[in-house]
Amino acid sequence: MNRYLVAAAAAVALMIVAAAFIFLFAPTDALQGPVQRIFYLHVSSAIAAFVSFAVVVVGSVAYLWRESIVGDRVARSGALVGVVFTTVTLVMGMMWAKPIWGTFWTWDARLTSTLVLWIIYAGYLLVRRLAAPGRQAARFAAVVGIFGFVDVPVVYFSVTWWRTVHPGPVIATDALPPEMLFTFLFTMACTLVLAAVMIAIRYRIEALTDALPVGMAVRTPPPASLREPTSPQVGRIS
Amino acid sequence: MRSIAIALTVARKDLLSEWRSRELVPALAQFVVLALVIANFGFQIDSRSAPAIAPGVLWLALVFAGLVAFGRAFAAEKEQASLEQVILTSAPAAAIFAGKALAAAALLVLCEAVLLPALSLFFGTPLSIALAAAVFLATIGMAALGCLFAAMVAQLRAREVMLPLLTLPLWIPFIVAGGQAVQVMMGGGGSYGQALWLLIDFDILFVVLTSLAARFVLDE
Repeated sequence: MNRYLVAAAAAVALMIVAAAFIFLFAPTDALQGPVQRIFYLHVSSAIAAFVSFAVVVVGSVAYLWRESIVGDRVARSGALVGVVFTTVTLVMGMMWAKPIWGTFWTWDARLTSTLVLWIIYAGYLLVRRLAAPGRQAARFAAVVGIFGFVDVPVVYFSVTWWRTVHPGPVIATDALPPEMLFTFLFTMACTLVLAAVMIAIRYRIEALTDALPVGMAVRTPPPASLREPTSPQVGRIS
Repeated sequence: MRSIAIALTVARKDLLSEWRSRELVPALAQFVVLALVIANFGFQIDSRSAPAIAPGVLWLALVFAGLVAFGRAFAAEKEQASLEQVILTSAPAAAIFAGKALAAAALLVLCEAVLLPALSLFFGTPLSIALAAAVFLATIGMAALGCLFAAMVAQLRAREVMLPLLTLPLWIPFIVAGGQAVQVMMGGGGSYGQALWLLIDFDILFVVLTSLAARFVLDE
């Protein structure tokens, strides 16, 4: 078993332990009931998304400054993982909002800015796909990645800058009972490990893709009907 | 000093070529008036609802006119393959970029000179210097960001789709602050001064960031 498989298995195991804490250890919220348990994963994945986008900025700056191909690959990996965790945040948030607020979506400052963050980094992934591969894609994406990060502090501070219906910070204000706080911190640590493992695996995929000769770096294999028949099948009577 | 001279030369060149062809501004002016007509059908506008709807219509028309204006700034150069020559000169990329942004912003201001009176005429909203000032301040930052991404997408495939996708999310701060200022001028609540300062802050932030980034976009 290679080390990536070990790391992936360990990250999944940690998430299962975190789920056990969320459902078995943490007390049920007096006001919201079991729905409140969404909070642990929702906030953790939002933090994982912020960290992933910070990784994009660090990688992008390294690329623009020193033309570091490693920096570029790190940025690419961070963007994809960040978009995944932003998606998880949005979906979990909507699942929580329906029973609590009575609606899946409201144009609240935090919800809106998080959606915009998702759109910006989805745009980053599109730029990578549409630019000429290599230097151009790396440069353009780096610029988008750095500009897009402007939205991260906006998302974070949106609950204090504007009057919103989204709950404010509960960790910094010490509003959680110890069992909930422990469950949250544990879930957050596990989610960050998962994000780190995902970025590492994605980095490996990007490095292998870069190593392919030019023209073979096809990200998605063509459908079977378009694929050239490989040698053993040539001439086979079906 | 040299950079400023280069920026002005590039801006003058773009404005001169627009003056000679007179392609973009008449089309944009017609587009914004048309946008008001479409809004009239979409929103069921009467004298009571007009002041509430007008700010939204103003920003929608302006945003889409801006996308066309900034997209053209670099698309035309790309089509005539003149962008490479401009980049190959020893002029700093930030100065070339500033010139292009200046010219595109000037064209959009001309288009606003049609949009604002037309909005006032058709929607019965007040027209004032304060309103024009807020729209103008938003135009500066929007032009900086719009031209940066226009320069980028001119070199991409599917550029028509990508320009709005990259630009619109980053224009949101200008639409939030500008929208607030315009709503105050059209009778809504809130602080006009605060919105104006916010617009100036965003202008400074994005003008500095885009001039730093121009070097990486205009370099092929």
